[in-house]
Amino acid sequence: MRIISGGFRKIFFIVTGIAFFLPLFWMLALSLKSKSEVYDNPFGLPREWLFSNYAEVLSKYNFFNYFKNSLIYTVATIVITLLLGSMLAYCLSRMNWKANKYIIIFISMGLIVPVEVVMIPLFMLIGQLRINDTYFGLILPYSAFNLSSCVLILYAYLRSLPKELEEAACIDGCNIYRTFFSIILPNIKPALYLQVVLIFMRVWNEFVLAFIVAGPERLRPLQVGLLSFFVSIGVSHWGYIGAAMIISSLPTLIVYLIANEQIENSLTASTELK
Amino acid sequence: MNKYFRSRLAIFIFAFPALALFTTFVIYPLIPQIIISFQRHDGYAMQAWVGLSNYIETFKSGSFWLAQKNTLIILALQTFIGLPISLLLALVLDRQSEGIKRFFKAAILFPAILSVTVIGQMWIAIYEPQWGALNSILNSIGLENLTRSWLSEKGTVIYSIAFAFTYQYIGMNALFFYSGIRSIPRSYFEAAYIDGAGFFQTSFKITIPLLQEVIKYVLVLSSLGTLGLYALIRVMTAGGPGKLSRTIVYEMFNTAFSKSQFGLGSAIAVIFVIQCIFISLIISRYVAREKIEY
Repeated sequence: MRIISGGFRKIFFIVTGIAFFLPLFWMLALSLKSKSEVYDNPFGLPREWLFSNYAEVLSKYNFFNYFKNSLIYTVATIVITLLLGSMLAYCLSRMNWKANKYIIIFISMGLIVPVEVVMIPLFMLIGQLRINDTYFGLILPYSAFNLSSCVLILYAYLRSLPKELEEAACIDGCNIYRTFFSIILPNIKPALYLQVVLIFMRVWNEFVLAFIVAGPERLRPLQVGLLSFFVSIGVSHWGYIGAAMIISSLPTLIVYLIANEQIENSLTASTELK
Repeated sequence: MNKYFRSRLAIFIFAFPALALFTTFVIYPLIPQIIISFQRHDGYAMQAWVGLSNYIETFKSGSFWLAQKNTLIILALQTFIGLPISLLLALVLDRQSEGIKRFFKAAILFPAILSVTVIGQMWIAIYEPQWGALNSILNSIGLENLTRSWLSEKGTVIYSIAFAFTYQYIGMNALFFYSGIRSIPRSYFEAAYIDGAGFFQTSFKITIPLLQEVIKYVLVLSSLGTLGLYALIRVMTAGGPGKLSRTIVYEMFNTAFSKSQFGLGSAIAVIFVIQCIFISLIISRYVAREKIEY
């Protein structure tokens, strides 16, 4: 190891790290070029900074509608998953229920059932429940598939909280429902916050279920809308493609800039579930 | 308080909604999946019971075996090349200064936070035959004879996709390994250092053996993720050229949703589940057999 000196290793990490960002910078540069410049100057900075690509993409590509849909799917999934998940986790960690052990095993099954495996019956089920042309067609399966890791992580967190918290509330005459909402939930805020970040990333970027289930154009989320935009542009105008990519990635990029440490923590927290 | 903790009503109110939602959308669909695989089904109604013939037809179909081969190629590359690189990055990263760590962790996780549509389209640009990054690099270093249209040639398409897939998750897996390394008590490393062990000795004799459980977890997670690969293929090649880059899940969805043969698609799904279980069992049988306590 002495051959590879400290300075060399530092350079290795910086260069490799930049290499991971590089493709996005390239797309950013492409997004500012005209249709023909992409072919004769693919890598340099744009000769002429063409911000009009962005304006044209926004008018051609139904971005705001897709964005609104993605936002609805993500926020609703977060609310449902956190509410139902924390309630179940609370019940499992505190209440005298003989089935506890089995419920935990049952919920853990969700960690190993990939959504692809049940896609065919899920698609039919959503049709039979007549939620296939409503937002619930995606919100309910998203929430269900995010429940497992949410319940297990919150369960682990709740078990580390002292029971005295509730006993004090009980003496003050709180019933269990008020105790849960006004004592327990505020006390598990850090764990809830990590879940919010994790579920946001998963649902915002989800593609497979959305691609298969979200039928009508007006209900499609951003990632599916983006693909149909790419297909409609073909490979004719990479300026547009670059601009659409940058616009669509902005929300996740902003969240990543604000909360990249939390994202790392919430991802790695799931290794604790093994 | 105890009277509430024992109250059946409270237990019901707290547990039922989540369990009902979870059962309906995650567990219950496994049952119709198996049933439909024995039927001829168009997605709306059963047309006939056909016994095992969906399975027989699947095993006789050439495109099923092609999809199997493609999926296993990607799985092998991801497991034997992607994961060791992630592990190596994690091992080396542990010895760097805080600033470098912060920057590098943020950088390698970055592709995993972009959507698969964006990543796929990015790689289409990289593999673009005329002005794409890969061919331009090859041209500029004098390897013109290696340039090709990466995504439309039989010999390269599946490897090109595998590389893009590995790129997206290499950092996330490295972070999983890294968080495992962080949870090993520092005293082990200090003891090794005092005894004069170098990087490779410490890694192979101490870190990796103590990391077995995390390695097992990442292996299972990454294998299941790779077996279920669909979205990236849909974005990059739509299974093409022809059927050459279809994976098992692509074949399954195509059979069910494009050809409306839901019975046949369900048979592929059932075979796929058995494969997933089989691979997970092999991993837990042969990796990390003993529980490690620090």
